[in-house]
Formats: sequence, structure tokens, C-alpha cells
Amino acid sequence: MTEVTPRMFHRRAFLLLTSTFSLSGLLTGRMAAFAQGTERATAFVKTTGDKLVAVLNGSGSTEAKRRELTIIIDAAVDVDGVGRFCLGRFWRQASADQQKRYLELFHQVLVTSVTAKLGEYQGIKVTVGRARQQEEEQIVSTIVERPNNPPAAMDWVITQPTTAPKIIDLIAEGTSLRITQRSDYASYLQRNNNSIDALIGAMRQQVAENS
Amino acid sequence: MPATIRSRLFLLRAVCRWGFVSCLALSLAIGLAACAVEPPADDPEAVAEFKELDDPLEPTNRVFYVVYDRFDTYVLEPLARTYRKVVPDPVRTGLTNTLSNLNTPVRLGNDILEGKPRRAGDTTMRFLINSTVGVLGVFDVATGLGYPKHDNSFGLTLANWGVPDGPYLFLPIVGPSSPRDLTGFAVDTVGDPFYWIGQGAVVKALDWTRFYVESVNSREKALDPIQSIKRTALDPYATFRSLYRQYRASQLTKLREDNRATVPVWFPQIAGQEINPAPR
Repeated sequence: MTEVTPRMFHRRAFLLLTSTFSLSGLLTGRMAAFAQGTERATAFVKTTGDKLVAVLNGSGSTEAKRRELTIIIDAAVDVDGVGRFCLGRFWRQASADQQKRYLELFHQVLVTSVTAKLGEYQGIKVTVGRARQQEEEQIVSTIVERPNNPPAAMDWVITQPTTAPKIIDLIAEGTSLRITQRSDYASYLQRNNNSIDALIGAMRQQVAENS
Repeated sequence: MPATIRSRLFLLRAVCRWGFVSCLALSLAIGLAACAVEPPADDPEAVAEFKELDDPLEPTNRVFYVVYDRFDTYVLEPLARTYRKVVPDPVRTGLTNTLSNLNTPVRLGNDILEGKPRRAGDTTMRFLINSTVGVLGVFDVATGLGYPKHDNSFGLTLANWGVPDGPYLFLPIVGPSSPRDLTGFAVDTVGDPFYWIGQGAVVKALDWTRFYVESVNSREKALDPIQSIKRTALDPYATFRSLYRQYRASQLTKLREDNRATVPVWFPQIAGQEINPAPR
């Protein structure tokens, strides 16, 4: 057995101390990053919500509103990420060309889904509440109020809150927009021989009908 | 979507009243015949897809969906649109409040069965306040006084007890459901004191009036979301299925996370601690 000399003991104590400090430093750093992330996510949702409300309640023409909304959605939503999510396992099976066409259409579907309901959103008000961390994402709770409608709870799921925050999902009264969309696409594909081209065709028709 | 689902659930109660529960047994029998194999766990996207599309009774459900959709397009929706046009908004809100107040016994019973004393307290206080100060439930005064509204059903109670929902069901007139929710609403219907009160023609007429008004009122609330789903979804049937499942799951999560203490905040030993966090 090796004898523990005072020098060795000091060295061990030193190592222990430094590792404890660095660990606690890491933890504090991580917690600070989380706290900062929460703050940034809340501020991001507030700014984006304000911009959306300003356009929706604004006096511009439908065409002007559509243009402005496209700019906001492009800047605030991780459109490509959400698009990939909604295609599920079929994203891996799609060719590069199909992926490109699909994403372009998905982008239009997203904008159209908002602009098609411009009348419904008139007089909308968004109140930002608390944010919480869930795995790598931040979830910011808001209350959405529309005239003649009871207030509805809407959670905004934000990714990369410390660098460039982006919206990846909206959860209205417990129902996730991207999960519902994925379910819709998956079911359509299942009923159309898993043909991605058929899905792209249907999306194109859907955009044409609603814009 | 809650209003949409509530309208379906209310219709469900009426159908149970007509003795249609037998179709549950039939659906279950067909369901057992068709069981798909789950994909391997190392492909999370395929597993998610499998779970979302898991619908062993889909062929039958889709037929009923078409029947339901016709009924909705030609009867329920036009009625709801007329109702929106004819009845002013404050009157509609008053009706919604009154109908919700009438549902107190069922809600309270389920709050107790779920072991949620604060929810049971909210329900009781809401009934006492809204039935008196709120003029027989027309005005919802209680929400402003710190007694928020929540929905409840025996289907949710069963879920809280750990009963699985079973295969997805889409039933004619009823809409989206599951064996668990169908059983739940049969129990809620029989458990409602109004089911047992009076045998006269007047009581019966009032009971049916309540049913018709509630159906049209709930459909009116869901006019915009349903229209937008029918217009934008590639497969509305799958979209309604997904929304129904997600909504029921979220209600269960909300219920399970509502663990507010029953001790008043001013109680000396725990004053200053966050013992009454607001439910999410």
C-alpha cells in the first residue's frame, strides 16, 4: 500500500477543490444560460407577438398584410425545420428535388394558413406570460384574446433561445400545430401510396384554393 | 378546439340516452380483429407516425365520418350560423354560462372521484356564487373572484385512474370518441341528477330544450376552427382525430398537474410559501 504523504494529500485536496469549483462554475453557468434563455425567449415572443398583432389589426390591404406577414414569419419561424418535422420519416425518403419543392410549398402553406384567417384575427390581443425550459426548448405561455371569444391559452415553442431564437411550434389549448400537421400529411401519404409527389400536388392545390 | 369537442361530447350523452351504447361492443369486436405491428424503437419518426395513425377501426370510422359530415354540413352548421346571426353575443354568453352552471353536479362528482379538492372547491364556489350573484348562472362572476372554470367528465376520471382510451372511434352524430370516453359519458348521463328528476311532459321538454340549445351553442363556438380545418387540411378526418387525442391528453396532464393545496395562503405555518401555484 502506498503511504499518503502530506504533499499528496494537499494535491488531492487541491484537485478536489478545483474540480468542485469548476463543476459549480459549470452549473452556475448553465443555470445562468437557462435563465438568460428564458428571458430572451419571452422577449422574443413579446416582440414577434406585437409585430403580428400590429399587422393583423392594421388597416392595410389583404395583399399588403400578406407581404408583411411573410416577412415576419420568415424571420421568426424555423420554417424549414418545421417543414422537415411535418414530413416525418418521408423527409429521408424524398429526393433533393422533392425536398426543395416541398419546403417551398410548405412555406406558402404556412403563410396562407395565417392570411386565410385575417378576418378571424381582427381585434386580436396577445398577453405574454411565463416561460419554462423543456429539454432544449423554451416554452412561452401566452393568452390570446379575440372579440366575442373566451381567452385561449397558447404556448410558443422556441428553439435556440440564446443565439437566434426561432418559433418551432404553437400549442393552442394543448394541441400542437406541427403534430396536427404531421398527422394530416402522414395520413394523406398513407392513403396515396406514400407518394411524396401526390402530397406536393395536394399542397399546391391547397395553396391555390386558399390564397 | 375545446368547444368542438364539447359539442361532440354533449351529443354523445344524448346518443347514450337513446341506448346506442351497443355499437361500442360491435366496434370493439371489429377492433380486435385488426392489429398492426409497431415499428422498431430505433426509428422514432416511424414510431410517432405509427402512433398518430393508429386507428384499427379506420374503415368503419371513415364511413361514419362521411355521415357525420353530411349531417353537420346540412343541419348543424346552418343552424349554428343562424343562431350566431339571430342571437346577440351577450345572450349567447349568458346561455353558455347557464348551461355550464347546470352541469355542476356532474363536474363536482368527477372532481371528487379524481381526488382534486381544490377543483371540487372551485366548482362548488362557482355554483354558489353564479347561481345567486350571477342570477341563476347567467353571469360568470366567480371567475373574476378567483374560481376559474374547468371542464370535467367521467372519461377524464377514468383516464386519471389509468384506464387506457382504447381504439379511436368516430360515431355517427356523436363524432370523435373512444371506448373510455363513451363509457365515461354514459356514466355522466346517468349520474346527472337531471336524468332522474321528474317524469312529466314539461320536464322532458325542458331537458330536450337544454340538449338542443347546448348542441347549437357549442357548434356556434366551433364555427371558425371547423371551417378552417375543412378548408385547409388535406385529410380533415385525420386532423380531427389528431386534435381530439391531443386535446384529451392535454386535459389529463392539466388535471394531474393541478395539485394546489387546500390550506389557505394566510395559514401561519406556511405563509409566504408558494403553496397555491396557479394551474397551468
